[in-house]
Amino acid sequence: VNHHQIAMEYTTLSNGLKVVVVPDTSAPVVTVGLYYKIGFRLEPQGRSGFAHLFEHMMFQGSANAPKMQHIKLINSSGGLLNGSTHYDVTNYYESVPSNALDRVLWLEADRMRALKVDDENLRNQRDVVKEEVRVNVMNQPYGGFPWLDLPPVAFRNWANAHNFYGDFADLDAADLADVQAFFKTYYVPNNAVLLVLGDVKADEGVALAQKYFGDIPAGPLLPFADAREPEQKEERRGEVEEKFGTLPAMAIGYNIPERRTTDWCAMALLDQALHGGRAGRLYRELVLEKQIAVEADGGIDDIFGYNGPTQMVTRILHKPEYSAEKTLSAFDAVIGEIQEHGISEDELQQLKVKWRSDYYSTLEGGRGGMPRYGLMHLLACFTLFDNQPQLVNSILDGFLAVKRDEIQAVARKYLRPANRAIVFRAPAKVSAKEAA
Amino acid sequence: MATRTAQLPTEAPALTPERPVTWPKRTKTRLSNGLEVILAESHAIPKFHGQLSFRSGNAAVVDRAPGLAEMTATVARTGTKQRVSRQIEEDLRRIGADLSSSAGADTTGIGFAGLSELADPLLGLVNELAREAAFPEPEFERERRQKLEEVKLDRTQPSFLASERLRKVLFGAHPYGIVAPSEAQVLGYKRTDLTQVYQEFYTPENALLVMVGDFDVPAMMRSIEKTFGAWAGKKPAPKATADPAQPKGRRVYLVHVPGAVQTQILAGCHAITRKHPDWIKIGLTNSLYGGAFNSRLVMNIREDKGYTYSPRSGVNPLRQYGYFSISAAVRNEVVAASLTEIFYELDKLRSVPVPEPELADARNYLSGIFSMGLATQDGLLSQLATVALNDLPDDYLETYREKVRALKPADLLGTARKYFDSANMQIVVVGDRTQIEDQAKLFGDLEVFDAQGNTL
Repeated sequence: VNHHQIAMEYTTLSNGLKVVVVPDTSAPVVTVGLYYKIGFRLEPQGRSGFAHLFEHMMFQGSANAPKMQHIKLINSSGGLLNGSTHYDVTNYYESVPSNALDRVLWLEADRMRALKVDDENLRNQRDVVKEEVRVNVMNQPYGGFPWLDLPPVAFRNWANAHNFYGDFADLDAADLADVQAFFKTYYVPNNAVLLVLGDVKADEGVALAQKYFGDIPAGPLLPFADAREPEQKEERRGEVEEKFGTLPAMAIGYNIPERRTTDWCAMALLDQALHGGRAGRLYRELVLEKQIAVEADGGIDDIFGYNGPTQMVTRILHKPEYSAEKTLSAFDAVIGEIQEHGISEDELQQLKVKWRSDYYSTLEGGRGGMPRYGLMHLLACFTLFDNQPQLVNSILDGFLAVKRDEIQAVARKYLRPANRAIVFRAPAKVSAKEAA
Repeated sequence: MATRTAQLPTEAPALTPERPVTWPKRTKTRLSNGLEVILAESHAIPKFHGQLSFRSGNAAVVDRAPGLAEMTATVARTGTKQRVSRQIEEDLRRIGADLSSSAGADTTGIGFAGLSELADPLLGLVNELAREAAFPEPEFERERRQKLEEVKLDRTQPSFLASERLRKVLFGAHPYGIVAPSEAQVLGYKRTDLTQVYQEFYTPENALLVMVGDFDVPAMMRSIEKTFGAWAGKKPAPKATADPAQPKGRRVYLVHVPGAVQTQILAGCHAITRKHPDWIKIGLTNSLYGGAFNSRLVMNIREDKGYTYSPRSGVNPLRQYGYFSISAAVRNEVVAASLTEIFYELDKLRSVPVPEPELADARNYLSGIFSMGLATQDGLLSQLATVALNDLPDDYLETYREKVRALKPADLLGTARKYFDSANMQIVVVGDRTQIEDQAKLFGDLEVFDAQGNTL
């Protein structure tokens, strides 16, 4: 099959900054991304939430663009901007009319060159981040479920197990020295990739990258902490109280194979067999057929965007008249069915067509009104993790080559109780009733 | 400060000359059965996006039961004369397609996306759902039970509670005053209520089909004729509706959520629809007030004071009426301080002309982000559907930017005075009354409700 291909220019500047340019002149818009290979997984111990707090600080001022200038210069060019912190990368990105490309690159280079922030900025953003945590986690039904609830149960290495949004005490303890140390260590050109996608010619994109970033000195790259997990020997379980929601919930996470292996490709399709929308086996069995659950969804989140231990996670909200154990055994029956009988050739073909279609959508899709986010994200991760942005053009092949027996084999090998963690999140009122 | 060598300009580079924005060619047709069709090509990926919309939604049948159009759309995908639910879902996966069906206040829609090479089977399925939905009794019962749990869950969401109360206050007896059914109303749904809505709404005369993607327009038009050509049905008759409430004076509505660790503020007043000649003016005024990251409200209560993570304002255009609203989730201690700043910024915009450089920035922002919609299939689809569903002029997309760029400080001052009705703003706060009632009542007569809507 001759798949949809992306033409790109890939080069590395002498300071180690990787540059990927993808020209596309169909609209006079350009998306620029700066990805740093540091996320919340490897933030300093005792400073939970710091990688994300730091991301906020990157909008607080640099040598020639004081606080508010960065945002103002992008918005007033007719553009949008944002940043986000992930497990293994942190990104900063802008979409602008292409006549603002120079300006965007100047701004990104200015803050890579010299962050200029003070105590007042830090206090301000610490307050903002706390409200972010409240609005997304502490004041929301099922807030942080399961992405914050599962890791401390599932993992033993602090890197994988800590609170990624940050304990408030740790956020309070963070000071300017931490900010500058983190910046000097990780925000160096040799730990980053610059992406320019859209209305630009390939050679112009590279020349502009050289012009704005070429003289930023490389940093001494510190060795990254070891994020490997000790081997898991038995099922792990935990409980979290639900303060607002009305339904009992649970999340089941299985450790998944190493990325870019044959098992990983098979696992991704198995994930789709289980979680692929209303046709997925879990939704079909638990919501449509047995009608135990109100929601049953999940999967491997951002499958191309992580670079360390991760899980395939199922999230279930079930009706109160079914106990947690009964719900879990219905879930286990779905897993057991695949382990015993595998999937049909017809189902496998359906999964592959849908996977290919979804992959194209990822390549084309935007985020928050900003075009080409999906393609940018894949290019960045393949560059930082594999030094091969071209993987966007070949990664699909591995998934389309998966065979039926491989799906059944990974189901047996990875979907074992001893390879999983479960978090139960029951409403406070229901727990009290059960206890009485 | 960590400084590295700096040899580059210390000033931000100027903008280079703009490249023209060219909106793609649209092909508009009306089939003989009344179905309006709009197609545009976009070849970035070998896929296409589509939307079959009906110009009727929950508001048109709220007298029968709130949320009835939404329930009809939900159950419509669970079975047709030819396919049971499981078959529909597997067939979608077989052709690599996504499909959703839902209804808002004014519109019902079937959204879909799929591979270009498999467009015909997807169109066939959309056609079946629009014309031959079977509403199987067991599927209806299951979805109704499901909806009951959703309705309970909604009432645990601060943002839902806030918007439900604001809509009630602004619209009163008008259908827009109710955003969701109660549990009892869900239990009262009957299968025949749904089939009746289906027969009335899902007709070609009431429908708009927009598709954007990697296809050849004439060929796609032939497929559409073949698939939908024999469909027949009239537009539902328009209905008279009660006038919306016109609340006067600032009033405060506190929805009490015991134990809330934050307060959701939502304030609003009546404004205008997209069809109104002032629409672009209010859009720019809003973007300057609280509609952009770089706006005054965000700079004030987030970047200066740190009260909140995501403050924003917006104009919400329903088909018959529109309203302006301001929202922020703030920490409990600063509810009064946040409201003070919200009103300070409103009143400032109503009193002092916007300085020309700030206005120029806002004009560039709004006209720039407008053309981002060009760059993806679903972005373009949503622009085309918005124009058609709101009966906006054909050149709306082409002329929007120049209209934005023509606006002057006096236009914004006039717009703020006319529509940012500070004196009659209705203020909803969702949070723990023991923490926030004293602060909230400083801003007007205060009523307290529980999450179920009962007065406390």
